[in-house]
Amino acid sequence: MRTFIATITAMLGLAAGTAAAHHSFSVFNMQTEISITGVVKEVQWTNPHIWVWVDVTGDDGEVVTWGLEGMSPNFLARRGWTRTTLKAGDKVTVSLRPLRSGEPGGMFMSTTTPDGVVLTMGGGSESD
Amino acid sequence: MKGTLAIFAFACAAALVSVPAAAQWAVYEKPTAEDWAALSKLPDFSGVWERGGGGGGARGGGARGGGAPGGAPRGGGFGGAPGARGGAPRGGGAPAAARGGRGGGGAVPTPEYAALRDQRRAAASPSQMANCLPPAMPSIMGQPYPMEFLMTPGKVTIILEAFTQVRHIYTDGRELPEFPDPTFFGTSVGRWDGDTLVVESVGFNDFVQIPGGIPHSDELKITERISLVDDDVMLIETTFTDPKALQEPYTTTATFARHRDWTLAEYICQENNRNFVDAEGREGIVLDNPGGLPLPN
Repeated sequence: MRTFIATITAMLGLAAGTAAAHHSFSVFNMQTEISITGVVKEVQWTNPHIWVWVDVTGDDGEVVTWGLEGMSPNFLARRGWTRTTLKAGDKVTVSLRPLRSGEPGGMFMSTTTPDGVVLTMGGGSESD
Repeated sequence: MKGTLAIFAFACAAALVSVPAAAQWAVYEKPTAEDWAALSKLPDFSGVWERGGGGGGARGGGARGGGAPGGAPRGGGFGGAPGARGGAPRGGGAPAAARGGRGGGGAVPTPEYAALRDQRRAAASPSQMANCLPPAMPSIMGQPYPMEFLMTPGKVTIILEAFTQVRHIYTDGRELPEFPDPTFFGTSVGRWDGDTLVVESVGFNDFVQIPGGIPHSDELKITERISLVDDDVMLIETTFTDPKALQEPYTTTATFARHRDWTLAEYICQENNRNFVDAEGREGIVLDNPGGLPLPN
């Protein structure tokens, strides 16, 4: 398991540097990291980036769907991910760099999978 | 009617003759058994290669140094990271540090092109890559996606997974065109210098930049020396020569690792691209319509 965590850690660390290959980070507030807790609604395992959609239920009961951008499926698939590493129905807490626009979305930074594996964006915490 | 056709054909022929670029067109001939056999005597570049894994960097200009791990002319810093444990810079700090080795011996522009660079920087709009336009040379060779080399008689073909691009390198002895059309990757010919493939490319459009964000003139030539430094390690030395834009030629190096168990994957950037740059140069993200492109009816 430790090896797997290390792989994922390295992979996401790389993703931090490589996302620029397709676009800049200017839409994200790179100085801020927030977290949301919710249920994965859908994972779009697509180029040029995967998108993880998370339904977050507020205190008032209203559900807001957050859109989180990750690295590409090509990149991730070569580093231990599959399109079902995260899947609809998973309860997750995700750390992210929020959109400057204030819309419910951001850059995927880290999360803990249902079986306890921490997927970090580099330099982050680990579960063990 | 026949006469009209004849005149039309003559006009076409005359048009072709009057365009010097037409002279570069070579006629493809069926390779012989000897042609195929000759390939087996060359270094084997075939297979899937990923950038990084063995140093690299930049040299040239006035000073040495610079070379970021991975040695990407820009957007580098990927090399050597696989297997590292959470040590990558947060928030993608790598690209800026690696871009052309600025501040550490980068390419040195002529005063005219330094001014042009500053002028363009001041007016900089975000990269159209957010709209899925592919990177140009040399950035296309520094993407975090593998590339596959194909070696056939008279040609080396590089299939780039990133943005699904192709570079055509003709090794059949043809000359570089005298008046090439400006393109993203230029027009390339290659010749073998011992075990090193020397690729020369000319004819670049304005999406091409010399590392450090330096604009180029129509005299830019990019020379790549490609060799194997180990069974599965490729070295590419890339030299930028541009008498109008650079005070002296500038060279970067990068290594690539061959992954014999990899195949290239599909990369259709428009599949689910939610990033964009609008007409005013503003970047944004589309969050509605989760699901990507509409499917065909």
